[in-house]
Amino acid sequence: MIKHHPNESLLEQFVEGSLPASISVAIAAHVELCPCCQKKTQALEEAKASQQFSDAAPLALDADMIQLMESIALTDDVDEVHDYIQPTFSYQGRDVQLPRAIANIDRTKFSGVGKVSRARLLLEDGELRSSLLEIEAEGEIPEHTHTGFEITLLLDGDFSDESGEYVPGDFIWQDGRHNHSPRTKSGCLCFTVVSSALHFNKGLSKLLNPIGNLIY
Amino acid sequence: MIGQQQSVDCNVKSGTRKAVQDTPSQALSDALVKVATSRDRKAFAYLFEYFAPKIKRFGVKQFGNEAQAMELVQDTMTSVWRKAHLYHHDKGAATTWIYTVMRNASFDALRKMKSNKEEHISEDIWPIIQDSQTDDEGFKDHLQTAQIQKYINKLPPAQRDIVKGVYFQEMSQEQLAEHLNIPVGTVKSRLRLALQKLRAELGDQA
Repeated sequence: MIKHHPNESLLEQFVEGSLPASISVAIAAHVELCPCCQKKTQALEEAKASQQFSDAAPLALDADMIQLMESIALTDDVDEVHDYIQPTFSYQGRDVQLPRAIANIDRTKFSGVGKVSRARLLLEDGELRSSLLEIEAEGEIPEHTHTGFEITLLLDGDFSDESGEYVPGDFIWQDGRHNHSPRTKSGCLCFTVVSSALHFNKGLSKLLNPIGNLIY
Repeated sequence: MIGQQQSVDCNVKSGTRKAVQDTPSQALSDALVKVATSRDRKAFAYLFEYFAPKIKRFGVKQFGNEAQAMELVQDTMTSVWRKAHLYHHDKGAATTWIYTVMRNASFDALRKMKSNKEEHISEDIWPIIQDSQTDDEGFKDHLQTAQIQKYINKLPPAQRDIVKGVYFQEMSQEQLAEHLNIPVGTVKSRLRLALQKLRAELGDQA
């Protein structure tokens, strides 16, 4: 069962559309996997809608508004919407379905160091970078902290760190106060959003730079 | 965005929302359904009068200027007119649906301001249709065609050319053989392989 969720304030900002795109994608993917958060976002959308739209009677429209209204309804055409076909994603010999928000954004090919490889999502979003991260069986990411923050959404496989084990759908938010060294027994696929380069705590930091660059 | 943003539980709070008496919910939903089913311009005018000024007010807050706020009104109300058929009244209030349409348009507009790119990722973050409508035969056929098209495009090029030639350009197998400069037997075997694959892909739906 999914144990880690975005908190209330994050979900609220998500529903308002006020979060950066990468974080919105991470939360949308979690919500797709988590029926409980689906209910919550629906309730929040209802609440926001009442806030915006409940007050006052209709106002009189000015000339610009009337013109706009008439131009919109000029034709009877409707927008055809095609059903969404979920593509299959294969990694380490497994077939999985990526959440829609992640699947539909273009990404680079996978490239890696050791057991860790990543494909970056081509999503311009300031300092935020988001990637699909694949770790092979018995792989780990050396202990590190974050100057900014890191979101990890486990999509498939197993994954654990000092705080315990995670299941697909778990939404993990780490910042400067945490340090962790995630590892996987049988291999895993994650979606990550990272706001700045990682900081490795244990020696050989120069040696670990390639992996730090890879993950950011 | 500092501090712990992750939560170890997920409790849906219920009963915390007050019923809003001022909102003519039923009338708004009825109007939206009329727009969808009979392209009713009077119903649309009613929706427009109710929502457009409120969307503009939201836009002014969001973008800080009137011109972009009017663009948001245009984007949102255009979607309301053209996508009303995607609204299901049994899944929620018209106000909620129109709020999500407005939120999506506003998100894409803000992205465009920041990255100067024309994209509509809001559609993937907050899909307006959550599931397909299957009771309408025509709609289903249309969906199935789109899906078959997609599978055809995934076939190896040699097989794809044959399928497209036979089913879309309506060429005979002999014509195709000549056109592609291959024996008729090869056309037949490629077609058989391609159809096997398509059947397997479509599985129980076909």
